[in-house]
Amino acid sequence: MSRWLLGRTVQAGGTFVVAVVLMFFVMRLSPGDPLARVVGERQVSEAEYRQLQERFGLDQPLATQFRAFVSGIVRGDLGTSISLAPASVNSLIKARLPASILLGGTVLLINFTIGILLGVWQAVHRGERLDRWLSIVSLTGYALPSFWLGLVLAWIFGVHWHILPPAGMNSPTMAPDAPWLTRAVDVLRHLILPAATLSIVTIAATIRYQRTAMIDALGQEYVRSARAKGLSIREVVWRHAWRNALFPVLTLFGLWLPLFVTGSVFVEAVFGWPGLGALTADAIGGRDYPLIMGTSILVSASVVAGTWFSDVLHMLLDPRVRLG
Amino acid sequence: MITRTEASFHHWRRSGGWFGVVVLLGMITVALLGPLVLQDPVAQPDIVGGAQPPSLAHPFGTDELSRDVLSRVVSGARISLAIAALAVMLALLLGATVGLVAGYWGGWVDAVLMRLVDGALAIPRLFLLLLLVTMWDHLTIVPFVLVIGATGWFGTSRLVRAEVLRIKSEPFIQAAQALGARRRRIVWRHLLPNAAGPLLVAATLGVGNVILLEAGLSFLGVGGVRPPTPSWGRMIFEGKTVLATAPWASIFPGVAIVVTVLAVNLIGEALRDRLDPKNA
Amino acid sequence: MRAHLALATAAAWLTVGCAPERPVNTTVVIPTGVLATSSVPTLTRGRSQNTRLAELMFLRLAELSPALVTAGDDGFVPALAQSWERRDSVTLAFQIDSRAKWHDGIPVTAADVVFTFERARDPAINAELATVLSSIAEVSAEGDGTVVFRFDRSFPEQLYTATYHVQPLPAHLLAHLPPDSIAGSPYMEAPVGNGPYRFDQRVPGQRLTLLANEDFFLGRPGIERVVFLLAGDADARLNLLLSGEVDVLQSVAAVDVPRIEAEPSLRVIAMPGYTVGYLLFNQRDPADLNQPHPILADRRVRRAIIHALDRKAMVRAVYHDYAEVPQGPVALPHWIRDTTKSGVSYDPAQAKTLLRQAGWRENANGWQRDGEPLTLSLNYPTTSRGRSQFAQLIQEQLRQVGITLELVGLDGPIWFERRGQRNFDIDFSAAGMDPSPSGMQQSWTCAAIGGSNVGNYCNPAVDSLLALAIYGKGDGLATWQAALETIEYDAPAAFIYSPPAIFGVNRRLGNVELVPYGYWLDLWRWTVRDGAAPDATD
Repeated sequence: MSRWLLGRTVQAGGTFVVAVVLMFFVMRLSPGDPLARVVGERQVSEAEYRQLQERFGLDQPLATQFRAFVSGIVRGDLGTSISLAPASVNSLIKARLPASILLGGTVLLINFTIGILLGVWQAVHRGERLDRWLSIVSLTGYALPSFWLGLVLAWIFGVHWHILPPAGMNSPTMAPDAPWLTRAVDVLRHLILPAATLSIVTIAATIRYQRTAMIDALGQEYVRSARAKGLSIREVVWRHAWRNALFPVLTLFGLWLPLFVTGSVFVEAVFGWPGLGALTADAIGGRDYPLIMGTSILVSASVVAGTWFSDVLHMLLDPRVRLG
Repeated sequence: MITRTEASFHHWRRSGGWFGVVVLLGMITVALLGPLVLQDPVAQPDIVGGAQPPSLAHPFGTDELSRDVLSRVVSGARISLAIAALAVMLALLLGATVGLVAGYWGGWVDAVLMRLVDGALAIPRLFLLLLLVTMWDHLTIVPFVLVIGATGWFGTSRLVRAEVLRIKSEPFIQAAQALGARRRRIVWRHLLPNAAGPLLVAATLGVGNVILLEAGLSFLGVGGVRPPTPSWGRMIFEGKTVLATAPWASIFPGVAIVVTVLAVNLIGEALRDRLDPKNA
Repeated sequence: MRAHLALATAAAWLTVGCAPERPVNTTVVIPTGVLATSSVPTLTRGRSQNTRLAELMFLRLAELSPALVTAGDDGFVPALAQSWERRDSVTLAFQIDSRAKWHDGIPVTAADVVFTFERARDPAINAELATVLSSIAEVSAEGDGTVVFRFDRSFPEQLYTATYHVQPLPAHLLAHLPPDSIAGSPYMEAPVGNGPYRFDQRVPGQRLTLLANEDFFLGRPGIERVVFLLAGDADARLNLLLSGEVDVLQSVAAVDVPRIEAEPSLRVIAMPGYTVGYLLFNQRDPADLNQPHPILADRRVRRAIIHALDRKAMVRAVYHDYAEVPQGPVALPHWIRDTTKSGVSYDPAQAKTLLRQAGWRENANGWQRDGEPLTLSLNYPTTSRGRSQFAQLIQEQLRQVGITLELVGLDGPIWFERRGQRNFDIDFSAAGMDPSPSGMQQSWTCAAIGGSNVGNYCNPAVDSLLALAIYGKGDGLATWQAALETIEYDAPAAFIYSPPAIFGVNRRLGNVELVPYGYWLDLWRWTVRDGAAPDATD
């Protein structure tokens, strides 16, 4: 058990390292001048340009840059942003992380309550007309481009009906010394549209996963015997089968951990949500190597950690995995 | 008494798979034949007039540059479906090759390839695409398709590799080997029929995925489709600024995306259910 | 059932019941796509956003009066300088307003001005600024209150040169810092200025707040707090204005104007902007810059392309009635603009005639010469919505006369890089200009080839006309216009649009004046009308 865990952890570490190296080389070997945005639409003398290159270490050979980069990661220092200098990558990520966690956490919460309930319901009523319609509805949500849905929702609720703020995370006119409840409600109001958009386009995955797991559980021996003992279907589902069907879904949780970190590049862009997704899109547009690497590392780390978490959970809950 | 074929057909019909097939075939037909009868999708007959609402002359209205939205949605279907189909084919090819090589040779080849695939899988595809697409200078459509295909094969390679490993360990293979048959030929002969199902499912779902990705990249303004060629994502991108005053310019391409992606996903789901009928 | 009710109530409370009532305070919120990372002018290079912000915190010695005439000494109004006098044809003396104080309470003195110009004229700090100020021979202080500018020659724009480009900075806080360490100094994080607003705080990735300088010597600002709110997406910014969350939106697209006008609480203010968008023709071969361009070196081809473009219709399509087709590289508010000239006409037949004269022959596939097709590519930044739209219009219009234009939409930095390397056939440029037309020397003279003149246009006649206009006697209006006419004839570029700056403004703001060359310059005179906003009642 502990050997398995150790092996799995080492493997996760290896995967992370490979991902980081891959990203570094994909990025550095592509064309485009990272200083272009700093320089803006102005003429810059050769000397000034060299000075900027020196400042960001871009004049060094690739190997040297890579070494500096690796030693930075080891020290936990992701360097200085180029387009937003003098801000450090660490500070930029730190500033944006709470917004992403709030949005991602809310979406996970919605998916793992409504999604699970619907999945269980559909499994019990599988094959019925409503089950098929719900499947189609959730699949339609899955087929929606998130930015398009976001645009439409922001326009209808934010602009046309005026009932929810169409963008941002705080009301800009809110006094900084307002009571915390007022501020919380304000953030909550801003959260509704982006969270709803992201949930609608992702919830199908949870529903279908739960539905499959539940169908699986309902076919098990003990459920059939419980039914034979005269328990009602409702009792069987909620007392027995559901608990067993929940385990596989919990492992899904790990796979969705990255959602915490990235939110969604599109949804954050459409709603002006100040999270990491929007920061990443900006960083890529501005060819801000250190910042891109910083966010990518964070995302990859969360993907690897999420997979690890879900594997471990899976193994704890289902000992058969160890044998496989 | 229902025969097995009837049962699976019955199930196929109920699961929405038939709906997906009909819609997708209809979409392909329109994409192929539509441009023959419709207006020129790049002509700008009245640029000062701006976007016009749907009418008899323009059933889907016109966009900001006075181009016919219906013709553009139909031409866009060609582009979007072609990109998706080609990219997915490329991804299948790459994935199958890598999977075969890794599974067949095993040993350090397998270890290296799979560690690389693990690493690549740890970078979200959108990030990888954004890195490639925005960094690489000015993308034309061919490299765009290549890039999308080249970032979509990691999962497939694991699928194929697992299948190869499974076949290699089957008793009948080992028996056949003992009888002197060449292992390579056996693996090859058994691989395709066995892997075809999961690959088909992966491909179908991949098509929907690529259509959404293309739209998303175009929406961020970094797609590989050059104006004046319409793609659905580009149309939404160009129409979003007039969403409130001329919603038809971005609603119709959006609906086209939803319907197409839903259709291919329904087909994929139905195929998956058929391979593993207990979920139905 | 009860759960449903509770949910419904909660939802109603979240959406309607608790819509934050706009407190009747005097905050103005301005959304912006890019949050300025530094709001200090002069000492580091910055983008326009920084300049706009700096104008709220730092005063110029004098400002332009609404006629925006940059030549001569008459078109200016006092700001940091209370008055000025001309001692001779090369000497100007400014009297600093004795009431002027830095935000930390220290009085503004002539020494501050001398210090700032010392730094501004140092090419090692900001080469471009140093070039613009190169005609200043010396800046010196006479006591605390008087600062004297001496120029190296006599020319009409001396007062403009001494006032427009540089806002004085506090020497007592900066003089001890070596020039190259200022960029990272704490001062840049919390700058101390002398203007109507002082720096409050910057929340990276979210907002930047300024507070009224209650002791401002020209009067108490009517608005207490100015918040620049970061909203990267243009549609998100518009939605914020339409929903009443922000008060002033800049760079409104013409197509959105009806939506703002439909909102009773909002109004639209349009004014001419200092930008000209043009198709710059490369007259050298991008493959070998020592060779002339195989197609575009011929003036007849360049003129043919312009004749093929219905620029008026295009401008109306994109900017509706707000923009005009510029005559030469001159924006709407420039005082040298000649409104009587109509420039190269829209005349596709003439376009074809010129192409034939240049040796091109038309067949079913378009134009050919010596087996080579008439195919050109147009580079443009995809980040610019207006230019992306124009590019598609231009492509279609050239197709109508048989010219194939390949659109090369590039990510902003790459587009800029290629432009600088002269690696393009046609470049879709948009020049943001100063109120003075003298910047034309940097883009359209032979001497500027290798610098800003990336299209390699060279006509000695234009060079001498421009020199005469800038350094001659009087305002040189006739000379300016002669230069413009020659440029129009030579067609180094197709000048497409001179766009307006359109703003959406909440009606709760009163006395709103916007300045074409520095939007927020008069913001401190704005007021908030209590309860006057129609949306405060619903």
